[in-house]
Amino acid sequence: MNINKYPEIHPGKKLFKRVYVAIMLWTVGKAIQVAAKVDKEVKEELAKLPDNFTLRMMVAPEKAFPLFFYAKTLPAFVVDKGLLFYGIQMILHKDKEGKIKYLGADPKGKKIDLNIVFKNIEAAWMVLSFQESTATAYMHDRFVVEGDLVHSLTFVRVLDIVEIFLLPKIIAKLAVKRYPKWAEMSPLRKFVKRVVIYIRAYTF
Amino acid sequence: MLLPGFYDFCCRVRIVSGQNALEKIPAMLKKMKAHTPLVVTDKGVVGAGLVDVVRDAVGKELEIVNVFDNVPVDSDYKIVDEVAKIYRQKNCDSIIAIGGGSVIDTAKGANIVASLGGETLLDYEGFSAVKRKLNPLVVIPTTAGTGSEMTLVAVIADPDRKIKMLFVSYFILPDLAVLDPRMTKTLPDFLTASTAMDAMTHACEAYYCLEKNPLSDSFAMRAIKIISENLLKVVKNPADMEGRLALANASTMAGVAFSNSMVGLVHNLGHTIGAICHVPHGTAMSILLPYGMEYNMHRCGEIIGEILLPLAGPEVYAQTNKKERPEKVVELIRKMNNDLYEATGGRHSRYLNEITDKNGAQVVPESLLPVIAQATMQDGARMANPEECLPADAMLVLEHAWQGKPLDRSKVNKGGTKVKY
Ligand SMILES: [Fe+2]
Repeated sequence: MNINKYPEIHPGKKLFKRVYVAIMLWTVGKAIQVAAKVDKEVKEELAKLPDNFTLRMMVAPEKAFPLFFYAKTLPAFVVDKGLLFYGIQMILHKDKEGKIKYLGADPKGKKIDLNIVFKNIEAAWMVLSFQESTATAYMHDRFVVEGDLVHSLTFVRVLDIVEIFLLPKIIAKLAVKRYPKWAEMSPLRKFVKRVVIYIRAYTF
Repeated sequence: MLLPGFYDFCCRVRIVSGQNALEKIPAMLKKMKAHTPLVVTDKGVVGAGLVDVVRDAVGKELEIVNVFDNVPVDSDYKIVDEVAKIYRQKNCDSIIAIGGGSVIDTAKGANIVASLGGETLLDYEGFSAVKRKLNPLVVIPTTAGTGSEMTLVAVIADPDRKIKMLFVSYFILPDLAVLDPRMTKTLPDFLTASTAMDAMTHACEAYYCLEKNPLSDSFAMRAIKIISENLLKVVKNPADMEGRLALANASTMAGVAFSNSMVGLVHNLGHTIGAICHVPHGTAMSILLPYGMEYNMHRCGEIIGEILLPLAGPEVYAQTNKKERPEKVVELIRKMNNDLYEATGGRHSRYLNEITDKNGAQVVPESLLPVIAQATMQDGARMANPEECLPADAMLVLEHAWQGKPLDRSKVNKGGTKVKY
């Protein structure tokens, strides 16, 4: 066996996927925060979570990767301190009043009640690039849930609604089990929420 | 054949089955280096004389002195802790569970505490708390239906917090399951019917829900065949020991199937109706199974159609046009429920409005259907169902199942892409 024949694996090879997943998680986190304010169904769904509840979605393992070197070239919001130190994470918190807030990627000092962990970057990539629906990913063991399973059902439902808001139909169809028709969700609601969520998520 | 992109399958329970299977227990326990078992059971099982049957069968080789018979219908962690305490006081080294789902779950929970130490089951809550091999656990099911002897889950209630705790680990699986028809002989006909329909539901849902895989498929298919060939026969003739053994086997096989794939809408609705209205699990399953199939038919009709082969045999399968097979399956399941209704003198319910309690009062009032529909969102079985099921969808199914008319499939919300397994 000639070891030289085998290609060298560069750690930076998955950088694109990592950056993409980080941006997606950031967008999803922000979008849920906004959707919880503006959409009735999301609000009702999130009301099922207990108050003072912290939820985290992350990619295993929990460690920094050499993103430092690219920090300058990346948009400011990606270079979250938590992201550099703890890897790709998205933390959402529901406070005493039931308000949902996106808390970035820094888990330090936070008690995580529900932890949704993608087993690796490939798994997160498959799901967040919509090659696999949330349900299929669940079936294929792409992520593990630590905490109360019932709360993860709530989160998956919220994720589905937000994806329907944010994504064009052709892509959202791949992400959710069933894309709602007219009678289930009017295009007007979809469109208005899409605009509002995008604007508010990227401006506040 | 359908090969999923990924699946995992594990079945490491030793099974002995036969007219004299109970007699094998002492030798098998000895092999596991266990000599002092604690029998965990409930008052009903003791009352039916089943513990004595086991005692006689194991004879002098194994003396059964330690018996805990206080497991209630809805067991909780306090009972589990009590069992573990007795286990230690009496210096036991293994557990023999004799009973249905609640007894088996209690025994699984007690085995965690008794083997790993500690005072209470609450210490082991969560997904990966059980990390090493537990002491020997033998399960002797007294109903042919739940399949709990083959599952790696124990569901135990916490009455203080009003929640059901889920314990999931391969180590929770029993070491030995004993299938002996003497144990189900005294089961009343309507319970034989509903528990077997629970097993039927496990097999069918394992076959068409999202986590289906070739290994669980084969278990499911054979289980369906055995149940459809034997159930009515046994209900009509309770002394049919061969038929009873066949049903016990089918239930165990269906247990392997659904433990390694998943259940869907039928269990999702059934769990919720059970929690809110206290409808027995098997009854809810018999009623809802045809509706679950109808609801998912536009997503995976072809796969549901394949169930016709074990359900009706090769002649009917070959004679039925491919397009009509799924509808034929639903029709036959409905017919089965009807036949069981007649054979049990009306004690096997076919619709939700038919279920009555001991005093003849209605168990599921129509006014509760919206509450049930909302609560279905909180049950894990919704994940593996091929079609999305939101409260409005659940309501549609429940209304039809309540009135007992076939599901109007034109009203089912559609709009998904092809199901990916
Ligand atoms: Fe069941």
